[in-house]
Amino acid sequence: MSERVPRTGPRAVLPYAAAVVLLCALPLYLEAYWLRIGLFAMAAAIGAIGLNLLSGGTGQLSLGHAFFLAVGAYGYAWLAGEPGPGLPAPLALVLAVCLAGVAGGLFSPVSGRVRGVYLGVATLALVFLGHHVMLNAEAVTGGYNGRAVAPFTLLGFSFTSADPELSVLGVPFGAEERLWYLGLALLGLAWFTARNILRGRPGRALAAVRDSEVAAAVLGVPVARYRSAAFVVSSMYAGLSGALIALAFRRIVPDYFGLTLSIDYLAMIVLGGLGSVAGAVAGAAFVTALPLVLTRYADVLPLVDEPGAGGQGVGPTEAARYLYGAAIVLVLRYAPGGLVGLVRRTPAPGRRAAPAASAPADDGAPANAASPSVRPSHPKESSS
Amino acid sequence: MSQGPPPPLRVTDLTVRFAGLVALDAVSLTVEPGSIHALIGPNGAGKSTCFNVLSGVCRPASGSVRLGERELTRLAPHRIAALGVARTFQNIVTTEGTVADNLMLGRHGLSRAGFAATALRLPHAVREQRAHRERARAFAGLTGLGALFDTPVGLLSYGDRKRVELARALCLEPRLLLLDEPVAGMNGAERERMAGVVRTVRAELGLSVLLVEHDMGLVMRLADEVTVLDFGRRIAGGAPADVRTDPEVVRVYLGSPAAPAAPAAPAVSAPSGAGAVERPGDASARARGAAAPAPGTERGDSA
Repeated sequence: MSERVPRTGPRAVLPYAAAVVLLCALPLYLEAYWLRIGLFAMAAAIGAIGLNLLSGGTGQLSLGHAFFLAVGAYGYAWLAGEPGPGLPAPLALVLAVCLAGVAGGLFSPVSGRVRGVYLGVATLALVFLGHHVMLNAEAVTGGYNGRAVAPFTLLGFSFTSADPELSVLGVPFGAEERLWYLGLALLGLAWFTARNILRGRPGRALAAVRDSEVAAAVLGVPVARYRSAAFVVSSMYAGLSGALIALAFRRIVPDYFGLTLSIDYLAMIVLGGLGSVAGAVAGAAFVTALPLVLTRYADVLPLVDEPGAGGQGVGPTEAARYLYGAAIVLVLRYAPGGLVGLVRRTPAPGRRAAPAASAPADDGAPANAASPSVRPSHPKESSS
Repeated sequence: MSQGPPPPLRVTDLTVRFAGLVALDAVSLTVEPGSIHALIGPNGAGKSTCFNVLSGVCRPASGSVRLGERELTRLAPHRIAALGVARTFQNIVTTEGTVADNLMLGRHGLSRAGFAATALRLPHAVREQRAHRERARAFAGLTGLGALFDTPVGLLSYGDRKRVELARALCLEPRLLLLDEPVAGMNGAERERMAGVVRTVRAELGLSVLLVEHDMGLVMRLADEVTVLDFGRRIAGGAPADVRTDPEVVRVYLGSPAAPAAPAAPAVSAPSGAGAVERPGDASARARGAAAPAPGTERGDSA
């Protein structure tokens, strides 16, 4: 809820349009490896947006995000695949998202009553429960070795390397290129809806619950209902994210959806900036891409070994964990607003400052017109 | 939302206990439709507890609160808000975001746009929110916040934030407004301005006001009726002029060297045997045993 852009003028839209054009053009230039990184980052970003709605928007902690990612991933794989009903892929995707939402709803007796850190502990149980089910419900999940994921098909167009063969501007479009656009579209949808929610009536109610439950209740917000609603919506984003992850991996295994995954998502939203959609995306890109980039350059980086090399250094995955662990400490200490807060604090006269500064000016508050853009947008410690 | 005169608020024999400690002891009062009723008393007298019961934050042990025909004591806070009871807080409680965000929160119960409609920006939700935003802007204008409508609350002065709370409460279209120390911490000019706003609001919106305030001058000028609490008991009530000269009120506020322990005894020893238990949730709770023998010294400060 931090960056307020009440209306979208052409100047506010321009940077977004440029970013979209750039992202759409990338598959023409990048090789499949980088596209896969991008795809994972986009999938993670959707999940992080959902978690940010819950943690940043409502002040609730969840360590069970991996569970809802798994529900989305296995839900899609089962609904669209064999064994399973083998539904059309788009329908299976929608149903997988709904399934994650239902799973979140089933948890509402807990999520509506338990607050903050205590909810985090309660959701921890979901991760272990989910892992147990994934290992044992072999008919659906394929057990320890996981299961294959049916490719996505939309109106006869398959998101694989063939059927139909496709090449754009001389670049052959394989699965990565095609899924890139699917991921981009879903991320766009997630971004758009989450921003609207945070800025609209539900987002204000959630922020009120976060800042003071008593005040929220007295102002007419049914607190428990909104707490569980936030949990359901967050689960649905996680479900979508999980389904996209399943599509990107093409095979899903139970061990991926462990507690570390939940913590990765918390790291994403803390790094990116709590409560901000853009922050969630930035954090997701950082946390997801870092180990993969380190793996790619393991041979040239000091102290980092190639996977399986067994040398003196650390593996790229471990190195990435050290790095983003350090990044979290740095962010918490020096930039509590996260990456987004850093960008916004820089008093650059460029596009970031423009919308924030022009908004109050339009409504005749010239005295305060300049200040919002330069101040860090933290919760002021005025209340309570 | 402009209906007839607001219903009267009748509080009857309201008793609240916190773990054996009586915070409110059979308190009764009536807020007449359209009046400004002040609730006064020294720190720890139970004024805020009374507000918490009226707004549904706290459940009474016994007694009833009726707004018109509706009993409020069994209702959840958001249901009470929906019946037209809005309150402000002693310590400012605003959410992050602009003045508009805070005022729009006050419109929550009066609007419908849910998660799906808001997420997809469905036309009816957008239209609804725009209409409510204009209404919120009107209340901002009424309380003198018009020029600050799109300013982040964190950048406002203390007095302005107090007025944001008032405007946000008004956004609920209340029929009864509960103001918990609306001018605490303000300077003289800000106080007069706030008093003016409260008068304007009462006149223009025709609502009843129940307010807790320590500024006696302001209470005497503003209120139609005053109820005085001390140690959870109603010790006096009536028109401001009568209350000001009531000997019991004078004793509570100024202390009375002529009658030290004897008259104070019934009011003080009644609640419980546990002498020095602190009142939970009340930062300024006094240790009762210590305060009882020497009301003159300590209470002189709080008056």
